[in-house]
Amino acid sequence: MSFINNLKNAIGRKATPDPFVSDLTSALSKDRVRFDATQRFLHSHDASVFDEGNAGPVCFPTSTQEVQEIMKIAKTHGRSIVARGAGTGLAGGAIPLGAPAVIAMTKMNKILEVDIDNRIAWVEPGVINLDLSSHLGVDGYHFAPDPSSQQVCTIGGNVANNSGGPHCLAYGVTDAHVLALEVVLPDGEVAVIGGLDPEPLGLDLRGAFIGSEGTMGITTKIAVRITKNPPAVGTLLLSFSSMRAAAQTVSAVIAAGIVPAAMEVMDQRITKAVESFVGAGYPTDAAAVLLVEVEGLTDGVAIEASRIRDIGFEQGATGIRVAESDHERELLWKGRKTAFGAIAQIAPDYYLHDTVVPRSSLADVLEKVDEVAEKYGLIVMNVFHAGDGNLHPLLLFDVREEGMLEKVHAAGAEIMKISLEAGGVLSGEHGIGIEKQAYMNQLFSDDDLDHQNRLRYAFDPDCRSNPGKVLPSGHSCADIQALKKVPEGIWG
Amino acid sequence: MQEIQTNDRSITKEAVTSFDTCIQCRGCEPACPSGVPYGSLIEQVRKTLVEERHILPRWQQIPFHILTRPRLLRFFTRLLVVANKLHLIPKQFAFPKNIPLRNKPLRRSGNDVYLFTGCVMDAWQRETHRSAKRVLERLGFGVIPTGDRIPCCGALHNHAGLVQSATEISETVIQSLSDDELPILVDSAGCGAALKEYGHLVGTNEAKQFSSRVFDIHEWVAEHLEALPVSQKLPITVVVQDPCHLRHVQRAHEAVRSVLEPFVDTLVDLKDDGLCCGAGGAFSLFQPALASKARERKVAEINAQRYDIVASANPGCLLYLQQAGIKIQHPMEIVDKALTANSDV
Repeated sequence: MSFINNLKNAIGRKATPDPFVSDLTSALSKDRVRFDATQRFLHSHDASVFDEGNAGPVCFPTSTQEVQEIMKIAKTHGRSIVARGAGTGLAGGAIPLGAPAVIAMTKMNKILEVDIDNRIAWVEPGVINLDLSSHLGVDGYHFAPDPSSQQVCTIGGNVANNSGGPHCLAYGVTDAHVLALEVVLPDGEVAVIGGLDPEPLGLDLRGAFIGSEGTMGITTKIAVRITKNPPAVGTLLLSFSSMRAAAQTVSAVIAAGIVPAAMEVMDQRITKAVESFVGAGYPTDAAAVLLVEVEGLTDGVAIEASRIRDIGFEQGATGIRVAESDHERELLWKGRKTAFGAIAQIAPDYYLHDTVVPRSSLADVLEKVDEVAEKYGLIVMNVFHAGDGNLHPLLLFDVREEGMLEKVHAAGAEIMKISLEAGGVLSGEHGIGIEKQAYMNQLFSDDDLDHQNRLRYAFDPDCRSNPGKVLPSGHSCADIQALKKVPEGIWG
Repeated sequence: MQEIQTNDRSITKEAVTSFDTCIQCRGCEPACPSGVPYGSLIEQVRKTLVEERHILPRWQQIPFHILTRPRLLRFFTRLLVVANKLHLIPKQFAFPKNIPLRNKPLRRSGNDVYLFTGCVMDAWQRETHRSAKRVLERLGFGVIPTGDRIPCCGALHNHAGLVQSATEISETVIQSLSDDELPILVDSAGCGAALKEYGHLVGTNEAKQFSSRVFDIHEWVAEHLEALPVSQKLPITVVVQDPCHLRHVQRAHEAVRSVLEPFVDTLVDLKDDGLCCGAGGAFSLFQPALASKARERKVAEINAQRYDIVASANPGCLLYLQQAGIKIQHPMEIVDKALTANSDV
């Protein structure tokens, strides 16, 4: 059969249609099930540097019922599925392996209900993170997790990766802001996880599902907690003559009992790049800058800001600037949030790493990261959520240079090792995906992984939901068994 | 795009469709966390698609040649106006009714600033230029309308993928205005965006220098507002519709608000984050079905507000929304009206 299909492809005639596709098309509609080469190519990638993806048909459902239909059809045909939001993931979590159906959730993008009294909003997973905050802004509320890609990334993607952001230091990451989820399980059953009550009945499975990177099913509705905008905000920019001093200030602030809303460190290379990109007024002569934001009641903010100033000077800050207006504050944040755009001036490609280390070892780890970069001849830049020890070394390169990608991966592996040795973990907020699968063994014992696999298995016994991700190979769900069931020659 | 341009990936029908159905509103640019300059990338890909004859067959390129010939453009305009009066143009084209058959050219009133008048806008909406010119004169600037001296800015050519023509046009424009260093003011968001990008398109220092002289008229007026006489506010509520090329490309849309604010009672912002109205230069002619879908969303958003008039700083948006029955004017016309009403008192 595959030979005939290949032959038909070769002479330009349409191959026998995959019955999977015809079933999907009749369940949705022709324009919402796409399987042309262009769509498949585009949906085989995300924002990561991995390019082994191979998408099958791409579906654009608009309702829970349609997602349910797709799941049932996939089950009938023994095929796998991968859910996808905006495709901004950096760990390859949405990269389809083994030609699964890609379920793009971007058309389920409605804010269904906002309940200000109870501070809850029901949203569909395709709602863009920043759109929700803009929508709530009229009433003086926002959605607290604010990834740097917030103007494009979706809440569904935030749930899948348990995403963080600069302001998660005080507010907690996505799982602290999700009350309930309506999910479609891999067998097509619809279930509600969590609930709106303070102590919902039954097992609280939110923790299992949030951050599961699409390996347990697909979220179709999300009840998020909405956060009141603070009455006062203070933003400080501290400059330092060494990265060590900046890192020590971060620890000292937390040790003094202050939990700022955000604490972000940027090194000199990135400051210079940002400055020539947006002109945010960052000092380009400082070895590192620390952006601190404190929120709360007006008097409290003033007191905390002045204490942070004192701590900064004690630790050797060379300059401290306090944002005098909303405009100045926005400009300082614009600098931080456009950091990744700014580096395009220096190199065409970057690999954004994501690890977490104990705050106290930040400075040591950063020095070692520098050594690794030097060893491989790569430019490294650091911009990271210092408050929670979440490092984001950026390795800059040009993919067109022979052997460069291999070097980058090797350097990435070493950085990973350094972080683990310092007592850190694999990922702060980007997830495991396919990027860090191979390192799971270094952090978890076989028993740990076995239990994680069993949990996954309880939701998805056939391993058809985002196969080949998160758990390392050797654990059953990591094997792309569904691949064998794809008719040969159709999705090659 | 990268695959087509650098990795020689074959250009499939679907790839062509996705480029051909892009309005090029460039709303993706401010949204992109990595700051990808989609506008110029899309233009480069369209160039390849035109060269390899995937889009824009030769007959579709004819109108673009007319744009650079003002007399011919005016001739066709008159022909269309007459045809429309004789009801020869089918109603679904909704040809605008308010285009005058004859309209005196704009006269030079001094030697301080250029007013860029463009192609279709000068032929169809010269009254807007007249308002803009009056406002500038009240600010105390002598205005040199560029008129037939510079027939077109080449923006539509560039968006369509006719990059070669666009570059030639831009070189002519730069040449014609290189005798002095006067600021070049533009009351069309699309043209302004194009002129500001000449530096990038042509790539020479001369072109960059030229682009630095270009201002959207609202940016200029906003800077000189204090020179305008204090005016009685017009008792109207104005919805501000941001043209994509003013908001996403020039990022000068706030200036429109600063300019209108002293002259009208209430300004209303739409809550759609600068969603495109569907006009997209020539897009609404080539992709009418998609364009009108985008317009429906915009019209629904506008009609959800209570307003007297909509203000839009781009000729394309003005015409296209007018066709959908929206009462709409250029901000300069509203300011001009307020200033005139004031001087009558």
